[in-house]
Amino acid sequence: MKKILVIALLLMMSLGVFAGCENNKETSGDSFSDIKERGYIVMGLDDTFAPMGFRDDSGDIVGFDVDLAKEAFGKMDLELKLQPIDWSMKETELNSGNIDLIWNGYTITEERQEKVSFTNPYLANRQVIITLKDSGINSKKKLEDKKVAAQMGSSSVDAINNFPDLVSSFDGGEPIVFDTNNEAFMDLEAGRVDAVVADEILARYYISKRGKEKFNVADEDFGKEEYGIGLRKEDKEFLKELNSTLDELKKSNKGQEISRKWFGENILR
Amino acid sequence: MQDVYNVLPSLLEGLINTIKIFLLTLSLSIPLGIITALIRLSSKKGLEITVRLYIWIMRGTPLLLQIVFIYFGLPIIGVSLNRFTAVIIAFVINYGAYFAEIFRSGISSIDKGQYEGARVLGLNPIQTFRRIILPQTVKRVLPPVANETITLVKDTALVYVVGIGELLRAAKIASNRDATLIPLVTAALMYLILTAILSKVFGRYEEKYAYYR
Repeated sequence: MKKILVIALLLMMSLGVFAGCENNKETSGDSFSDIKERGYIVMGLDDTFAPMGFRDDSGDIVGFDVDLAKEAFGKMDLELKLQPIDWSMKETELNSGNIDLIWNGYTITEERQEKVSFTNPYLANRQVIITLKDSGINSKKKLEDKKVAAQMGSSSVDAINNFPDLVSSFDGGEPIVFDTNNEAFMDLEAGRVDAVVADEILARYYISKRGKEKFNVADEDFGKEEYGIGLRKEDKEFLKELNSTLDELKKSNKGQEISRKWFGENILR
Repeated sequence: MQDVYNVLPSLLEGLINTIKIFLLTLSLSIPLGIITALIRLSSKKGLEITVRLYIWIMRGTPLLLQIVFIYFGLPIIGVSLNRFTAVIIAFVINYGAYFAEIFRSGISSIDKGQYEGARVLGLNPIQTFRRIILPQTVKRVLPPVANETITLVKDTALVYVVGIGELLRAAKIASNRDATLIPLVTAALMYLILTAILSKVFGRYEEKYAYYR
């Protein structure tokens, strides 16, 4: 009897798997009319990326970008569906039509602009140098002979590499890259690296989590950059619509309220 | 302790996905493995070469690559699967290949005298396989199958690449959010409990089959 039950259960589970096959999606051409017709939009995000998009204690996806997206697509009369993706696969997911947009602290870079089209920037960001409180490091120059860490594949690494002479003066001759910013910060606290270079927005989040009194953010930075929303190149009409909605949102009270909720101040631009 | 309690709901949600992938893969890949092993041992040349090629490809490339290929690569030729289906197919055909080799070694380790004895007793080939060969094979392959099964528990973490949440991903998310290692330690304990249960189950089976000695 028990055996039959187990087999029946497994059969049911496997049926569920194959019943879930999706229809092949058409990805050529502008998909905005299709999106409007079906009434929902699929937003891709890395659900480990606090505070822009991550999961809270109960497993719900929350964050600054998520709140902003809800508001924006509410205005456009579209239901928002959140699809967690692996960050290294984001452009593949977008161009194969699995998701309709990337909105998750997505830094605008020249390289990425070849693969996706970006909306107008909505947030300004800097690549800052974070050290322990009493390090005395307050400029890029002071990083000579020091161990410098950053997140692998992030725009921070690109920003550091814009200063090749400085990089070759580091202890080890190159930045030490970690899988996540969290690990870089743990190593900084353990005293094995002297400085971490990271997005200011992310850095401020980790500093507030780990204790403000422990860290120092240097006055000098590794350059400024901006966050944007990534869409498929073909979706020109969608881009136009989203840009105007975004502009409206930036000026509205609601947009400023969301910014204050997550960062304590209005940093939308 | 409070921290552990806080991350439990999201970790348990991840654990359910991990177990789902594990059970589905195991229950579909073992039959596939047995069938593949029998074809590999059969005398049909064309089929045998096809199966060899299949095993070579599945064991010769990383499982992560196979998942990426099935989910992101197949849509190019018009086969578009949803995330979960793609992952299960990748796991089943990958683990099927490993199980096939385990079963093949098990079946061919049975002494020729067993087949001869069965024939003397008047059993036909199907009866011989079901009543004589298979029970002895199962007994011999239990330890390597247990090994493979435990590896499978940990391999389920690879589904992160198509964005499916599971135990390790849930732990990483919580670790990033709270900036502590506690969620990862909690996840490690859950994996240990899971594999302890599996070891126990396989230990029972080994005892049960011990009477053939």
